[in-house]
Amino acid sequence: MDDVVASAQKQRRSRHPFRSVDRLRQWFPLALLLVLCLAFGTLSDRFLTVNNGLIILQQSAVLLVAALAMTFVIISGSIDLSVGSMVALSALTAAALAGSMGIWAILPAIAVGLLCGAVNGALFAYGKIPSFIVTLGTLVIFRGIVLLYTRGAPVSITDRDFLGLYTGRTAGIPNTVLLALAATVLAAVILNHTVFGREVRAIGGGERVALLSGINVNRVKFGIFLLCGGLCGLAGLLQSARTMAATAQLAQGLELDVIAAVVVGGTPLTGGVGRIRGTVLGVLIIAILSNGMNMTGVDPYLQNIVKGLVLIAAVFLTIDRSKILIIK
Amino acid sequence: MLSALRISKDYGASCVLRDVSVDFRPGEVVAIVGENGAGKSTLLKVLAAIVARTRGEATLDDRVYAPRSQREAERAGVALVFQELNVNPAVSVAENVMLGHLGDYRRFGLLDWKRLRADAQTMLDRIGADFAATDDVGGLDLGQIKTIEVARALATGPRFIFFDESTAFLNRSEAQRLMGVIRELRIQGIGVAFVSHHLQEVFEIADRLVVLKDGSLVGTYPADGMTEDRLYELMVGREMAGGLFPPKAGEITGAPILKIDGMMTATGTGPIDLEIRHGEIVGIGGLKGSGGEAILGAVGGSVRLSAGTMMWRGARYSPASPQDAWRAGIGSLPGDRTGEGVITDFSVLENVTLAARPSWALALSDGARMKTLAGEQVRSLGIRTEGLDTPVGSLSGGNMQKVVLGKCLATSPELLLLNNPTRGVDVGAKSEIYRVIRSLARKGMAVLMVTEDLPELLGLSDRVLVTRKGSISKAFDSAANLDEEEVVKWMM
Repeated sequence: MDDVVASAQKQRRSRHPFRSVDRLRQWFPLALLLVLCLAFGTLSDRFLTVNNGLIILQQSAVLLVAALAMTFVIISGSIDLSVGSMVALSALTAAALAGSMGIWAILPAIAVGLLCGAVNGALFAYGKIPSFIVTLGTLVIFRGIVLLYTRGAPVSITDRDFLGLYTGRTAGIPNTVLLALAATVLAAVILNHTVFGREVRAIGGGERVALLSGINVNRVKFGIFLLCGGLCGLAGLLQSARTMAATAQLAQGLELDVIAAVVVGGTPLTGGVGRIRGTVLGVLIIAILSNGMNMTGVDPYLQNIVKGLVLIAAVFLTIDRSKILIIK
Repeated sequence: MLSALRISKDYGASCVLRDVSVDFRPGEVVAIVGENGAGKSTLLKVLAAIVARTRGEATLDDRVYAPRSQREAERAGVALVFQELNVNPAVSVAENVMLGHLGDYRRFGLLDWKRLRADAQTMLDRIGADFAATDDVGGLDLGQIKTIEVARALATGPRFIFFDESTAFLNRSEAQRLMGVIRELRIQGIGVAFVSHHLQEVFEIADRLVVLKDGSLVGTYPADGMTEDRLYELMVGREMAGGLFPPKAGEITGAPILKIDGMMTATGTGPIDLEIRHGEIVGIGGLKGSGGEAILGAVGGSVRLSAGTMMWRGARYSPASPQDAWRAGIGSLPGDRTGEGVITDFSVLENVTLAARPSWALALSDGARMKTLAGEQVRSLGIRTEGLDTPVGSLSGGNMQKVVLGKCLATSPELLLLNNPTRGVDVGAKSEIYRVIRSLARKGMAVLMVTEDLPELLGLSDRVLVTRKGSISKAFDSAANLDEEEVVKWMM
């Protein structure tokens, strides 16, 4: 059998030379990343340094963790617009409790994220309300809770153990980066090597097929939003340690950067397919673009336009549009 | 006359149509037959300029015919009706009929509804449609929707209309209606060519048969004097040893594995009483919507019961979801291959193992076991695929159907529910599917099948039930020596 498969694969490669274009396409995000590094590297001699590399990683940790969460949601064919608000709410939880609980404020912060995710998941999976609508609503509600509690005033964090989450280093690597890395590995294992991950992709690829094949679609959908909430809890934790405070505007608009990162990484919004690797690259592209533009002194008022253009160009080149008949 | 001269079509390095020369004449019905992948649809699509030909020429009335788009082909007088339904349910019948020509109905910049409706009605009348241009698309059945598409083709003023497997999704009476429409077109002097897997249809209506195999023309034959056996032989390239259907089981005794008592479904079907034993293939015939699919849905966990009971292996059985059914050992093959059966973006391996998963969701999915499972099914069903990683969407219809069947069988079900198991599948793949199902039944698997294909109902089943308006109108204790007329009588 294996022989048959192997020889057929060999045959396929030789018989369809045009498929090499498809193969190249998946390398596009990586190529874009390298081009950006080279470009900024030649324009600024401070860009390609170990220190700046660690700064980029540190700066992108929050975006990365939230984007990992969004990858699951998008692969399943849904969307979660409330990630920024969930990050803010769990950051506030951490800030409010860090004074009394110290480092252990981690736990309630993640618990709040999970709770938010559970609310989204329950309304979506069991309440049968489209995820776009549910999370558009909770985007406002979760942010509203933050506003109500803070009344617009920042809640600052002084506990040094807690702030060590961001500033501290283990074996020379910032703790933030280690946490984000651990989350990435965990997400990749869940997506690629567990039954849950496969069910997530199956739901995105064909929900009715998944249902009729005996997949408990509602439970998986709930699980996806729960996972998303939990990861946003972690992201909020990192965010509050980074800013040393929680404010009402914290992580506002984060959902747009998150969706952009996932899509630039080659995961289409139509669901069914996608990779954690792609999301990591997408996050780095967005982070490096911001960092590099600052380093090379690009007019800050011009930066948003450049970011938008890169986003559109990246999707234009990454996704094989010839196979898609209808674009929505 | 439309003549194709040595037409070829390559996709990458693979050749799907090789030097095919065929003539089409006005007022003649030509059937294009062959196995899946023989190039039937491609031939028609090349001539209608839906896909571009790689080599070869064509002439229309001795002038060069080389349209570059579907539009140009239609202007030259060649229209194609697709296999899939392409009707927009949100707009009226009239707009659907005149879809390509709405620009011709402007008056003071607005749509001239009166003229649009009148012209659409003319087209519908020409093919004897039993509904009006002002009707709501929502209330029409699939056969009537297909009629809209024929009317749309007719609105282009064609001299040739091609049908690409247009009856594949129609039930018996809907298909009959379409046959009537084709006869009407022939009378009006329009040349018709159609692709079909239903040999009954082919013999009923075609004047001439064009047989393709592996992209090449086997030959062109007059329909008169052709027999089904001879045609199978031409299509498959070998004799069908012992016919299409494997021998039936002898007498089956033993306790029923599934027993349904006084069942009413939430969809209004019932009351239904039914028993099925190990090793038995029970076929359910009936018009679409007459209850067969609801029975499968109830047993498979996707349709709720409103009354009655089901006993599975001696215990009360009331599935709340398809998941419960799979867990109980009941596999089901749904009727809509791409919408319900397989995920076309997924690989053969992922599709075959979709239902046979470990139940604990965080269990690391066992790659080696999945490969073995998928490999077994690919081998035993003879799925022709380049590899286990090939996306299912790139397989032919017959092979895709085998993947759906493989997905069911990978769970080693004790009861297999089949909804039209060979719809749109060529004769070679059909006989392979029948053989696999029968051999598993011999090993004890029970099979409950709903089918609109009469030869399949009579040829594969050990017992036959007929449904009419939601209940069982007749139960034949043996399918041996049944004739079609006898069965059809109980459907109407």
